Amino acid sequence: MNIQHGRRDTLVAYLLLTPAIAGLVLYTFLPLVGAFALSLTRWDILSPPVFLGFDNYLEIFTSDNFFQASVVATLWFAGGSVVMGLIYAFAVAMMLNQRIPGRGFFRAVFFLPYVVPIIGTTIIWGWMYQANFGVFNFLLGLVGIDKINFLGNDATATPSLIVMTVWGLGNMIVIFLAGLQGVPKTYLEAVEIDGGNFWHKFRHVTLPMMSPIIFFNFLMSVIANLQAFGPAFVLTQGGPDNTTLSMVFLIWREGFQRNNMGHASALSFVLFVFIAVLTAFIFSLSKDKVFFEGD
Amino acid sequence: MTVFKRYNLPVTLVIALLGLACLFPFFWMVRSSLMSNLEIYQYPPMPVPTRWRFDNYPYAVTLLPFGRYLVNTLTITLPSVVGVLLTSTMAAYAFARLDFPGKGFWFSMVIGSMLMPGACTIIPIFVAWTELGFNNTYVPLIFPAFLGGGAFNIFLCRQFLKTIPRDLDEAAFLDGAGHLRILGSVLLPLIKPVLISIGLFAFVLYWNDLLGPIIYISDNDMNTISQGLANFRGGFGTDYRAIMAVCVMTVAPIVALYLAGQKYFVEGIVLSGLKS
Repeated sequence: MNIQHGRRDTLVAYLLLTPAIAGLVLYTFLPLVGAFALSLTRWDILSPPVFLGFDNYLEIFTSDNFFQASVVATLWFAGGSVVMGLIYAFAVAMMLNQRIPGRGFFRAVFFLPYVVPIIGTTIIWGWMYQANFGVFNFLLGLVGIDKINFLGNDATATPSLIVMTVWGLGNMIVIFLAGLQGVPKTYLEAVEIDGGNFWHKFRHVTLPMMSPIIFFNFLMSVIANLQAFGPAFVLTQGGPDNTTLSMVFLIWREGFQRNNMGHASALSFVLFVFIAVLTAFIFSLSKDKVFFEGD
Repeated sequence: MTVFKRYNLPVTLVIALLGLACLFPFFWMVRSSLMSNLEIYQYPPMPVPTRWRFDNYPYAVTLLPFGRYLVNTLTITLPSVVGVLLTSTMAAYAFARLDFPGKGFWFSMVIGSMLMPGACTIIPIFVAWTELGFNNTYVPLIFPAFLGGGAFNIFLCRQFLKTIPRDLDEAAFLDGAGHLRILGSVLLPLIKPVLISIGLFAFVLYWNDLLGPIIYISDNDMNTISQGLANFRGGFGTDYRAIMAVCVMTVAPIVALYLAGQKYFVEGIVLSGLKS
């Protein structure tokens, strides 16, 4: 293509990219600046904002008990969901990659929960977790375990939400399965010829070949689960004893129920910085742990 | 080598049991939606109702304006799907086919925005829409779909476009076609599968959204299905036969859509996850 073309291409390209660039500016850059600006104020929406400097941050890190509870709740839920989710999804994908009948059917079955709206998921699971009439307590009763108040007990509320979340991870299973189907059979056979067992194949071929996909799922899962809102909103309202008070639920409650927009913005900005630093840290770790095939 | 490959039976058994467990919540939801409240609250629970009470569905609809919510949800979802398809294809074409200064920069910005935690910006965006007077309208829920349609979709569409030989565009170009013609009449028909994937995912995303409507829509008549069901559960907390019936009506359309377009869902997921 000649230079004249190049100039026209540039114009056309930027015209085509206008919506996407506007999206970056209007829905990412400016809101981040806005969140920071609002975080320096006290503002109830109705009266004009009052400039506070860094008082909101000072409060968050010194006297805001909800924030401290929320950090614990968010990390506990996200950590559990990411670890359990990766193990569950990888294990199911490994099994689906064996010689089994109806692989397409089972893949559809395991993916299905992923498309269910969070309101549906929370209502169904909330009903199954119900302490007095729920089916889970009935099943536990069959093996002689006493009734558990799944969502009403400090120790079981978050694990219950984690199990529910893991159920909905069908997309990870599909991604893992596609990756596993791409692991060259010759590599696995080479290990077999050398007398390697299942563990050797897994440790020296499958895991390294899958590491970019594991990394991708891990990162996306961390970012998504740190922003959980639905379970707390529908099922627990952050309780019992704030053990399920996820950060985004707290932000929503401070901002939209209590009209503390300044405080909520400060919480948003803290969450943003935390996720940004964590993402950078995960990327730096991945440099020597993830095996990228040259393309 | 034997023609008849034997299945791995232990794994088949485990996967079948896990699959049943995975489907169990769906079964339990449907079964509860066809019971009387007396049966629902029976303990130990009965596996299936003595009589299937399909009249729970018409009954539930008398308690909340489900039809109204359905129309509202579609009013948000359909234009959003159009916006996602339109603007993500535009951006993808630019990244896949055109050479221009700043391409690498903008592409990495778009990809980087996948990592952006959207929940951190809800407050300033809400404040901006409120100042503009769009609170309690669908504009804040639909408008973002017209801003590039999401980094994943741009990426997905670009990857797919790159697999199509450039000779096709060149030929059309020599015939005097402009970029719009090339994209519209040469490439779009070829990338139909990925467009269907993107459209289906966008539909599910907007149909299922809960936080957006909760933040922006305060008028009861303007509720979406998800939001309406959340409020309904709050208001009719013990009338479980109605809650479960509405729950089925909320979940069923999405499940049906998924079963109809399964192939495209799987392909979309696989492409977005693997070709990074």
